Amino acid sequence: MTQTELKDSDSVNLDTAHSEAGTIRLQIGDVCCAFRFHDVEIHNRLKDFYSVFLTDNSPDIMLEMEAFERLNPGNLGKAVRKTQYTHKTNNDFQTTSNIISGEYDLTNRFIKITGEKRLYDPDSKINHLNRMISLAYYMACRIKYFETYPAMMVHGCGILRQGHTLIFTGPSGVGKSTLAGLCGEQDGEVINDEIVLVSRPDTVSREVIVRSVPILGAFPCRRIVTAPLRCISLLKQGDKTSVHRLDKTEAYLRLMRQIITPTCIGHGRKREILSLIADFSMEIISSIPVFELEFNLDRKALWQAVGEIEEMVNEEARQ
Amino acid sequence: MIAGRITKAEDIISRRVGDDVVVIKDEGQALYILNKTAAFIWDLVDGKSGIDDIVGKLCERFEVTPEEAREDVKKIIKVLTKMGIITYNKELSK
Repeated sequence: MTQTELKDSDSVNLDTAHSEAGTIRLQIGDVCCAFRFHDVEIHNRLKDFYSVFLTDNSPDIMLEMEAFERLNPGNLGKAVRKTQYTHKTNNDFQTTSNIISGEYDLTNRFIKITGEKRLYDPDSKINHLNRMISLAYYMACRIKYFETYPAMMVHGCGILRQGHTLIFTGPSGVGKSTLAGLCGEQDGEVINDEIVLVSRPDTVSREVIVRSVPILGAFPCRRIVTAPLRCISLLKQGDKTSVHRLDKTEAYLRLMRQIITPTCIGHGRKREILSLIADFSMEIISSIPVFELEFNLDRKALWQAVGEIEEMVNEEARQ
Repeated sequence: MIAGRITKAEDIISRRVGDDVVVIKDEGQALYILNKTAAFIWDLVDGKSGIDDIVGKLCERFEVTPEEAREDVKKIIKVLTKMGIITYNKELSK
């Protein structure tokens, strides 16, 4: 279905979206995304789950979330493992397994998602809620900021320490959640162990801001955090704990792979999106020091190493 | 004289990071760092220049004989073609 084929009954008045039953509005960085669920049970659970991100702000985009139950849990699990997101145009996405699909009508700031009910279930290991949040965020930015994207989602564990954020990033399985689990109260506060929102550097101060986002991870988000980014560490699991500063090229190459892009859900303009992440990655490494942190499960050594990183950052700032 | 045109592949981008040139393809999943000579050649790939043009520029920029330059250019063009970041169409004469 193209955007001109969306039925009148599908459209929604964004100004009254907050008062409509089944709708939750989430603040994701500088945009507000409204999600309307026809399933009352799912709506109530997600309202509770995302409680710290609920807002009364006027929505920048509305996502209509329709659910169906065609597959039993076993078959759905198998289908999810084989699923790939595809797109026919810039205004939709499908999946190879037909478990979820979406149609965009960005002129009316509206997206219709139709998917298996369990994909919206925060307690299901196979839920696709993080993808939906990313989709909503990037599409709202496309509309509100004309595709300039003032901040981008980065695959990483954010930890708040002494008023600043440290990002620990790396590919899946490298140990982001493990590191978050080794973070005691005296070490810092886990913002999110999966994804954080990273702003573009301020043109004058070069300051970069990190914000927590409604992304499901191993650690529940208890409050919205907004704090300047001090440094980024690329994680490496090893049999010892050590740190070293990365040169710009290596930092650039490794950081770029951790930026979550709008391509994750049916966005066809590959070259533009590549340019976007290439430029964003360049801006970040030009403003923020990047380290490699090799670590094992020695908690004390880990936080000593983090302290060394902070000391190096302070030293560089003094020079 | 070697005819043919060299063009950059579609859906790729490149950025200069310090002294390196980074070429990005496959939606960011494939990244290549080009050495000094490869980066020099990369900058000359404009869809119009052929191997002879690049050899000429290489001789002007570096202290190499035309024969050495031609060998280097042919080798690098072959590698970049194999990476899928350029296409070399021998049929298209200038």
